[in-house]
Amino acid sequence: MSKTTRTIPRLILTLVLALCFASCFSSCGGIQNAINPAGPNAANISRLWWLMFIICSIVFVLVMIAVLLSLSKRTTEAADRVPVLEPSEESERRRRNVVVSATTITVIVLFVFLIASYSSGRSLGLNDPTKNGLSIEVTGHQWWWEVRYQDVDASNIFTTANEIHIPVGVPVMFSLRGADVIHSFWVPNLAGKKDLIPGKINTMWIQADKPGVYRGQCAEYCGFQHAKMALWVVAEPQEQFNLWRQNQTQQAVAAASDVQKRGQQIFFSTTCVMCHAINGTPAGSNIGPNLTHVASRHMLAAATLVNTREHMAQWIKDPQTFKPGNRMPQNNLSDADLQALVEYLQSLK
Amino acid sequence: MSTRAVIDISKLPSHEFDTYDPVWWGNNLLLAIETSMFAILIATYFYLRQNFALWPPPVAQLTATLDPLPQLTYGTLNTLLLVLSCGPMILTDMAARRDNRGVCQIGLVICVLCGLGAIVLRGFEFSAVYFRWDSNAYGSIVWFMLGMHMLHLLVLTTESVLLTIWIFTREFDMKHRVDIVTVGVYWYWVTAMWLLLYVIIYFVPRLG
Amino acid sequence: MTVAVDDRELAEAMRQEREELEKTWARPRGLWGWFTDTDHKAIAKRYIFTAFVFFLLGGIEAALMRIQLAFPENHFLNPDRYNQIFTVHGTTMMFLFAVPIMTAFGIYFVPLMIGARDVAFPRLNVYGYFVYLIGGLLLYAAFFLNTGPDAGWFAYVPLSGPAYSPGKRVDIWAQMITFTEISALVGAVIVIGTAFKMRAPGMSINRIPLFVWAQVVTAFMIIFAMPAVMLASSFLASDRLIDTHFFNPAEGGDAILYQHLFWFFGHPEVYIIFIPALGFISPIIVTFARRKIFGYVPLVLSLISTGFIGFGLWVHHMFATPIPQMGQSFFTAASMMIAIPSGVQIFCWIATLWGSRLDIKTPLLFVLGFFAIFVLGGLTGLMLASVPLDLQIHDTFFVVAHLHYVLIGGSVFPLFGAFYYWFPKWTGRMLSERAGHLNFWLMFVGFNLVFFPMHQLGLNGMPRRVYTYLPETGWGTLNLIASIGAFILAAGVLVFIVNAIWALRAGVVAGDNPWGADSLEWSVASPPPNYNFHNLPVVQGRYPIWEATADAPVLRGLSTKTRETLVTSVMDAQPELRFDIPGPSIWPFMVALATGVTFIAGIFTPWAFLVGAILAGITLTCWFFADPNYENKAARDTGEKSHKVAPRAELQPKEI
Repeated sequence: MSKTTRTIPRLILTLVLALCFASCFSSCGGIQNAINPAGPNAANISRLWWLMFIICSIVFVLVMIAVLLSLSKRTTEAADRVPVLEPSEESERRRRNVVVSATTITVIVLFVFLIASYSSGRSLGLNDPTKNGLSIEVTGHQWWWEVRYQDVDASNIFTTANEIHIPVGVPVMFSLRGADVIHSFWVPNLAGKKDLIPGKINTMWIQADKPGVYRGQCAEYCGFQHAKMALWVVAEPQEQFNLWRQNQTQQAVAAASDVQKRGQQIFFSTTCVMCHAINGTPAGSNIGPNLTHVASRHMLAAATLVNTREHMAQWIKDPQTFKPGNRMPQNNLSDADLQALVEYLQSLK
Repeated sequence: MSTRAVIDISKLPSHEFDTYDPVWWGNNLLLAIETSMFAILIATYFYLRQNFALWPPPVAQLTATLDPLPQLTYGTLNTLLLVLSCGPMILTDMAARRDNRGVCQIGLVICVLCGLGAIVLRGFEFSAVYFRWDSNAYGSIVWFMLGMHMLHLLVLTTESVLLTIWIFTREFDMKHRVDIVTVGVYWYWVTAMWLLLYVIIYFVPRLG
Repeated sequence: MTVAVDDRELAEAMRQEREELEKTWARPRGLWGWFTDTDHKAIAKRYIFTAFVFFLLGGIEAALMRIQLAFPENHFLNPDRYNQIFTVHGTTMMFLFAVPIMTAFGIYFVPLMIGARDVAFPRLNVYGYFVYLIGGLLLYAAFFLNTGPDAGWFAYVPLSGPAYSPGKRVDIWAQMITFTEISALVGAVIVIGTAFKMRAPGMSINRIPLFVWAQVVTAFMIIFAMPAVMLASSFLASDRLIDTHFFNPAEGGDAILYQHLFWFFGHPEVYIIFIPALGFISPIIVTFARRKIFGYVPLVLSLISTGFIGFGLWVHHMFATPIPQMGQSFFTAASMMIAIPSGVQIFCWIATLWGSRLDIKTPLLFVLGFFAIFVLGGLTGLMLASVPLDLQIHDTFFVVAHLHYVLIGGSVFPLFGAFYYWFPKWTGRMLSERAGHLNFWLMFVGFNLVFFPMHQLGLNGMPRRVYTYLPETGWGTLNLIASIGAFILAAGVLVFIVNAIWALRAGVVAGDNPWGADSLEWSVASPPPNYNFHNLPVVQGRYPIWEATADAPVLRGLSTKTRETLVTSVMDAQPELRFDIPGPSIWPFMVALATGVTFIAGIFTPWAFLVGAILAGITLTCWFFADPNYENKAARDTGEKSHKVAPRAELQPKEI
């Protein structure tokens, strides 16, 4: 093979590999990123990641060097060369030493990984009884998250959907259930994922050390709209959290203006009331997300759309455009009715 | 002009009993597959059992005399039949090795009758299990275990029938004598699997 | 006392024998021939061709997915279509391409490498192929009719259960599993039977080629792993069809049971796909390094221990379930431990290559590609083995990257190397080296472009099996790069196809042994005659062609008028039997049809099994009674006394 035909592939290869590596370091930050930790769980795992990544990279480079060095003697048309069936004792002994050393190093590296992994797992402290306090129950549905804040005092229990608030610096116990099929609760900035399995209860604790908004997404294929079953975890200072929580325990704001009253009427006279609950009104179905404080949420449709009047109207009119296959039917309302309904819902802060 | 040394294999037979014959290996590999299958079935049985406080689950009816434990009669009869049927099978096996066509013919016919009997008894065993396959997970796994084993009883009996027809109507050649011994291995295996399943299906629930 | 033999008479006798052998082993012709031919090479080539077609279909599905994912909120595929495509892609690649093609190499080469005339159970082999074909056709018929399965290639319950997957899509998937699993099991029984009992005299257990060792280890894994998926899919099918409750938590069933059953099979499955490829690498390295392999015994032990340990890893697919952490840690340890035998093999291969003057022909180039890609994949596997780290990267594109690095790097690259290496033996022609190098570089570059960014995507929060993603996630750039890479990879595969078609007509004619290799398949013509060997060889070492001496004894005594091959003992390959090999027969195909009817109708009604059992019974009876070699056999078997011990005294080499 001529020199040119050998150099060109090498150039391309180097370019590609460089591109690959560059692309990696392009997005180290950002939300929904496992190596941009915002809490002790994710931080712990992130440290383990870097340890393994660095050691594995070194191992990879060493093995590649060994492979490339073994190619150093070249020839062509070797098919009629006499094969070596009796290599020298000396060279066999050298090879044996190298192979044994390499294997030993492999075993040592594996032990290091094992110990690192095990101690990382222990400090993740699953089901640690000292970490009680705030307790949230998340139930996965096709294709939204039902969130229920537990409390010893029954009047503090409330249900919301798709948006979870937690106080900064406080460990929160999550208990995870699946209502229909298996889902997986994953907020990469904060922690690893856990599956929500019908018939089982899974638990994990999460703590955010920095205030912020962290996006999570369902990580177990659950049907048509698995791709758009996301959620927000909002970490805020304790006082702010307390205020939010207090508000969430309240019943729904009563419809004030005429338009809002008209909107509420429409809510009760169409299919809405069959699936959605609004506390303080006769609407009590929990087939779909609880809408008592829907206007206080940043996003709609499991973190698919920003919660604006326009988006809400579009969503109600035809949910199938945004999430084809999801369980919410189209609603053929007149523009005026739709506006009224949206007015009402947007008043439910 | 050249010399050659020769290994002359023309005197070798074409079939031989036990590990000599590839058919022995093929048969035992198939049995290994089926043994794995039964092992996993058994593991499933115990796995599902963990989900139940009472195994089998209690009957949702008021009559106190209803006992959801599988009744022992048919299962035990079947076990006895299968174990005893190994007797004629062993005699047939030995006769095949000794080239005794007559004993093989009688022995295989007896075995076929035992096999048919076992299949009939198995039919009754299904009714001795209180639950149906679609009642609950207990019913599902027990029916599956009884059913998979019955599938083997059917295949075993059919194979024996075919062999019986052959040795009555065609050559009693080495190949088919080896086949008889092979069916014998299958026979003992079906019995052994049943003994395991019998204990699990009928006695594990009685452990309390 | 040696006696001189006249050369001309000998040559004439040989020619006559060859003619008789050709007549005895003649393959049936025409359409009827296609259904009745039992020649292991013909069946293997059919398997390879069919599996390659499925590989291309799976590749097209992948390309469609990459087009959809190239841009956020793309509307190229709707979610239903996308979900079917990713399911069928995974199912095709794992069940319809990877396992069958690896088995096919075994079916073609094991008899040739061990010096046998055919496989141990040729009619069973035919049955296995047709069952596989029916299963594949079933899946694609459903897919093209828009009822393809859409619950993922492992179809977790309850999503795949009766409540959340209405219709017949998942039932079709479950039955297709049955077909491919029967076919794989049949192939495994054949490989073991052949490799254990049909080796040429002198090929004792420590002289078995590494290719054959890999196939045997794989076959044993198939035997112990496949029943688990058979039960998983049967339980699923019966939950759906006849209302059993294996996976229904309301009646005591368990969704995690399905995962245990599936992954107890599923993890060994990837080793079933990977280990045969290790068997391709050893002969290629030996041939091109032109020295004996370094570390034959460690390599064999590594293959065997990989096979064993592979059964102890399965829970690493389930770390996110509520299985107690203590138990999970065991699986972390096992999953890391399996790196040791893999490492040993890689070190031994590098040690073999080291210091040799290498001519980097295409087969070796693909093996080098394997080193780069598989090692990287293995290292990310260690990351996934750690429970805490796995909880972040499980079910994300990081896993998609890992699995493709180990499967494409670990199996497909060696497979392409094997294509280039053994194409001359199948067809008598060499593939073009220049096209081969182009093929390699396109695949290597394209592959890395597609899958390397996916590691980052997984860390960036992108889960698996998503038909689209929002622009705000920022995943667009890496996805676009990956999609471009997919077409470069596809171009590489296209170059291969063009190369193969061209070479069939115009490739350089290959002799018996164009690479100067050492194993027995290279001692016969390219392509081999139907009967493989005129005289079965007597093997003198691990590298039969390289170690052959001029005064090696010749094996004589097999009939040229009936189909026979030699059966030998397992450990020392001592001759034991002149075994009858059945000839062409229509019954394996008929039994396969009966099997097909049973399981396909079983998608719709449980009564199909009763009818099917009867059909199978009838066709099997015909198979049993129709012995295609019967008339040709001498009557010597009737009334023959049993030999407990083969007459060894007669088997010492004697001189004529």
